[in-house]
Amino acid sequence: MAVVEDDLSQAELLSHWLELAGHRCHHYDRGEGLMRALDQESFDVLVLDWNLPDISGVDVLKRIRASQQASLPILFVTARNREDDVVMALRQGADDYMVKPVRRLELIARLEAIARRGKHHNEQPEVLELDVYRVDCQTRTVTREQRPVELTAKDFDLSVLFLRNVGRLLSRGHIRESVWGPNAVVTSRTLDTHVSRIRNKLGLTPENGWRLAAVYRYGYRLEQLDAAVPRTPRNSES
Amino acid sequence: MSSLVGVNDADQVGRTSALPALTVSIEKDLEVLVQRFPARKREDLDSVRIALAAGDFETIRRIGHDLKGAGEGFGFPELSAFGAALESAAIVRNERALGEQLAAVEQFLSRLRVTFR
Repeated sequence: MAVVEDDLSQAELLSHWLELAGHRCHHYDRGEGLMRALDQESFDVLVLDWNLPDISGVDVLKRIRASQQASLPILFVTARNREDDVVMALRQGADDYMVKPVRRLELIARLEAIARRGKHHNEQPEVLELDVYRVDCQTRTVTREQRPVELTAKDFDLSVLFLRNVGRLLSRGHIRESVWGPNAVVTSRTLDTHVSRIRNKLGLTPENGWRLAAVYRYGYRLEQLDAAVPRTPRNSES
Repeated sequence: MSSLVGVNDADQVGRTSALPALTVSIEKDLEVLVQRFPARKREDLDSVRIALAAGDFETIRRIGHDLKGAGEGFGFPELSAFGAALESAAIVRNERALGEQLAAVEQFLSRLRVTFR
């Protein structure tokens, strides 16, 4: 999760509460700092203050909604309590709004609720069926067209991450943190090797109606291609 | 606001040392954060004092706004109330009210004793 809050005491308190609830927190004290981070990172949820020293929280919200991170769930946490402020933030695309001082358990509950609505929560279904793929998280097995695919533990976790986030752009940092954990040191090359391997093993290629695309200097996105698009990209005239 | 505080009682301002300590019990898991909090807020009050002398009401409004947002979360609802009062007084540029609130917050912080449970 990301917290944008210029008051250091408040930021520490929010981060502390979120970490006690089992979430990893990244703190930014400026709106521009977050926007720069979003060029290279993705988050499950954003906690956003309104009054920031550089740009307003509403401007941050508008920029995110117009960006490739448009679906990022956002909770406003601000001391602004006027009805027109709440209405404006929600109409500009905030998922929820809380007036400071916030209560700890309510904050956590609201964050987890918007994370669930964003389909990025932890309690994912044990079995995921998608096109020709069937993922069983209990037995940690993947089948493709009912045939088992041999995967290492990390390749399995990586496959699940992508198959649960079809169409979503995932940053390298997000992938590393989700698959290897927050403190693991994983080089870009290692990550690329794993991605390449699951692309081959699962057949995530345009011929099969899928594309696991690298986004330059950012990360990867798994896309299911339109069924109407020819799946064999051969040039018939060549 | 707690009835213990008595910070709006004008004749108490300036006689801080004679007043009894205000003991506030806070959850143990906040100990590290809470121990830093009053010191930071005292620094903010220094900034308010300087801003008040310079007629910089926007700085006071911002500090009051932050105090309003943070105080209660740390277990000090009185500070949130002081923050709201500072913010309101800064918006209308009421120097007298700002001076009184500043003295009241200083008095509160000087009397504050925190225990952890």
